[in-house]
Amino acid sequence: MPEQAAGVIHDLGYRSYDGPRLGRAQIVRALTLHSFRSAWGIGRGVKAKIVPILAFIVMCLPGFVNAFAVNRGNARLFGYDVYTPQLRVLVVTIFLAAQAPELVSRDLRSRVLPLYFSRPLRRGDYPLAKYIALTAALLILIEIPLLILYVGTIASAKNSHGVWEETRALIPGLGLGVLWAVLMAAIALVLASFTGRRAYATGIVAITCFLLWTLSELLINAEGGLTATTTAARIVGVFSPFTVIDGVRIWLGGTNQGLDPTNLGHFGPLYGVVAVVMLAASLGGLAARYRKASQA
Amino acid sequence: MPDTHPPASSAAGNPATAAGDPAGVIETRALTKVYPGKTPVTALDSLTVSVAPGVTGLVGANGAGKSTLIKILLGLIPPTKGQAQVLGHDTTAEGERIRTLLGYMPEHDCLPPDVTATELVTHLGRMSGLPPTVAKERAAESLRHVGLHEERYRLIGTYSTGMKQRVKLAQALVGDPRLLLLDEPTNGLDPAGRNAMLELIARIGSEFGISIVVASHLLGEIERICDHLVAIEAGRLLRADSITSFTQASEVLAVEVEEGLAQLAEELARHGLAATLRQRTLLVPLDGDETYDTVRDCVATLKLPLSRLEQRRHQVEELFRDENEGAVNA
Repeated sequence: MPEQAAGVIHDLGYRSYDGPRLGRAQIVRALTLHSFRSAWGIGRGVKAKIVPILAFIVMCLPGFVNAFAVNRGNARLFGYDVYTPQLRVLVVTIFLAAQAPELVSRDLRSRVLPLYFSRPLRRGDYPLAKYIALTAALLILIEIPLLILYVGTIASAKNSHGVWEETRALIPGLGLGVLWAVLMAAIALVLASFTGRRAYATGIVAITCFLLWTLSELLINAEGGLTATTTAARIVGVFSPFTVIDGVRIWLGGTNQGLDPTNLGHFGPLYGVVAVVMLAASLGGLAARYRKASQA
Repeated sequence: MPDTHPPASSAAGNPATAAGDPAGVIETRALTKVYPGKTPVTALDSLTVSVAPGVTGLVGANGAGKSTLIKILLGLIPPTKGQAQVLGHDTTAEGERIRTLLGYMPEHDCLPPDVTATELVTHLGRMSGLPPTVAKERAAESLRHVGLHEERYRLIGTYSTGMKQRVKLAQALVGDPRLLLLDEPTNGLDPAGRNAMLELIARIGSEFGISIVVASHLLGEIERICDHLVAIEAGRLLRADSITSFTQASEVLAVEVEEGLAQLAEELARHGLAATLRQRTLLVPLDGDETYDTVRDCVATLKLPLSRLEQRRHQVEELFRDENEGAVNA
């Protein structure tokens, strides 16, 4: 028996633990918080923080520009329901392409999942925690800029009526932000969970989001752009999650110019259905992915 | 925790015997697992076994069903038929409860390279249900117990294979388990590393009072540290017994001569040694140093060119093949 190897083990005695143990719900909460922090690069190296923090700053900039403009006497620059539509698509895509793999592909790559599944969690708990974490991270990315837009605007409001008007306009915007977060987090996670190779996962998320959006945009333009009223122009938005969300916005009464033609005719409910189907398919795919992983 | 640590001393000499022993840490009854498919694969076939407290070796060739058994014991896959209990809890109904009492060390690499051992083990301690400060303390202690000191603040990616195996063991220990399931813990280690790992496991079993099941395909290796052995082959129980009754049968000398194998076998038989021919090797039961002398003398008498004379490290399937033929074991 080699002295050396055995000698490095300290004999300090083993202490058992008889104190309180957290239940499953609290473990899931701990995993959610841990994942939320990694979504922002917290607890990771400096490099891990670059993309999420930059994305957040870029997303907030229009809000600050608005505060400046309103202060100089202009009207509010963007609608709360659309914010800056193209910029939001771009920033959310980059954020998801970088951070969804951070949450799921790393663990797949290092094959750490058996260490989770051998602990008092159920097999759905791991993807659930990851989903809640990424949704929460997206909410921060999307809603904080809206709040900056709001605060910057009401800071120059002349009376309480102005504040009330702004608040009423803000609330549907926040609601749409929730739809963005809930749907895009699910889609990005299920795409990223297909591969443990981070670069591939980033590519899959980015390409899917961009390609589908570009496809929708191209088709809308081919049909005559956002002012077109042809049936084709009204329904081609269903191909991309971004235009689906925008379709839901218009269906629910949004009038600002976003990604889709503002007059969807009778096709508004179609967008609602597609949004639900996309969400259900993504979450179902995610659950199936980890059901398989837990038994492998 | 209502469960108490079984005192390590009570484990010694308490053979893994018939099912129904209430002190058993693992009890399976007619456990069967069939993976469906075009050609269904029977991974476990009516396996009934009882594992007593202490250190138990689970031996079998690759594909014998060890990993399937472990997954069922962890409550991750349901058995097709039969049932299994771990520390008195049913694996199908109480998987979560079982997993609070178990520590599991997987066979393959399972560590992220870009975190420190401290961070990883602390996080996994949290995942075992430890409150934050307790998780930190126990992570530090577990890593110290497995022999990682200042290195624990380094990224795991910079570790040697031996250190990684220790981290895998530490993460299994962090939640203060009543039972450890270690799947091929010496995988990928050099001889010195293997010895250190085995010694560490033996210490955990004897000094920490934690029951341990060590799955391995190398009987020769784990027999040194186990109180009991459970041998499975093709999903069936070959034998479950205390280590002493196992090893008695496993000591053989492998003799190879370049010609005259049959002559040598006859000569050995004349000296009272029942040798078995296995391919081009004669296996001679080893009864001590005299056996070496006898073999040497026989070879010398016949003037045969001796090319190999070694004490065999038995692989379990060979051991049982021999036993079934009844030749080696007198």
